[in-house]
Amino acid sequence: MQEVITREPQTMTEVFKTKVGGIYQFDAERCWFVDFAGKMAKFDYRNLLKLRKAVYNVDIEGILLDSSKSPDVEIIFLCACDHCYVLTLMQIIALKEILQGAFVMLELNNIIHDKLYRVPA
Amino acid sequence: MKDLIRIKTLISSEIETLLNRQVKMEAMSSSVYLSMASWCNRNGYDFSSDYFFKQAEEERQHQLKFYKYILDMGGNAVSPEVTDIKQEYNSFREVFEEALDQEIAVTQSINNIYGRCLKSQDFLTMEFLNWFLKEQREEEYKARRALELFEVIGEEGTGRWQIDKHVGEIKYPQA
Repeated sequence: MQEVITREPQTMTEVFKTKVGGIYQFDAERCWFVDFAGKMAKFDYRNLLKLRKAVYNVDIEGILLDSSKSPDVEIIFLCACDHCYVLTLMQIIALKEILQGAFVMLELNNIIHDKLYRVPA
Repeated sequence: MKDLIRIKTLISSEIETLLNRQVKMEAMSSSVYLSMASWCNRNGYDFSSDYFFKQAEEERQHQLKFYKYILDMGGNAVSPEVTDIKQEYNSFREVFEEALDQEIAVTQSINNIYGRCLKSQDFLTMEFLNWFLKEQREEEYKARRALELFEVIGEEGTGRWQIDKHVGEIKYPQA
């Protein structure tokens, strides 16, 4: 069962966004919302890492070079997570871009916290 | 925006990946030593067999040390897959040559992680690795000393029997 959530956008902070989707952080519940493929899905820290791993592990080049007639659809299924994605290759590439961007931003956030708030120089 | 990731974990995902790779390497080492113990035992080198059993146990302890560290730091420790372990050796000497090679590879790998930690200013992991650096000093010494026995005793006559007898007595003189 999938929980589709709608929330007031102002309570969430945009982490990274592209034309086709984005990731938002919701501080109050210590979680992230992934807006992609027509749904807003809630991910906690562990599941977000699992999503990243699953998407990064898709062999995009391999699928592109695959000349067999199998459909280029990937099922992103995460263990112990309510969400499941069935994505085409183009969507995989788009989601990968979003995740890469988001994790860079989260790392940047970490650096900002370290430098500005925790131990100001 | 809260720094949610830092709340959950102390080590960066890059260091976590490196440490997990090290877990796998230690597990491989342990398995290889076990295979060496079996080969030595089958070929009548019982003292060396015991020596390798001990080494296998030590490597296993190293693996667990890394494993628990990753978990303590809030990371994800991955139980490694260990495959393709060499089971047969061409000679008694080859076993010890490969044992030394393996220790050199482990030292190199720990050095690499240390380098990465230094670059990302992960002093906690560096401090944790200090123990392993010291341990590698001992491991490499022991492996090198075993090979030295082949030179000083020689393999002729009852040489291999003598070497086997002395392998179990190798100790690192702790400074």
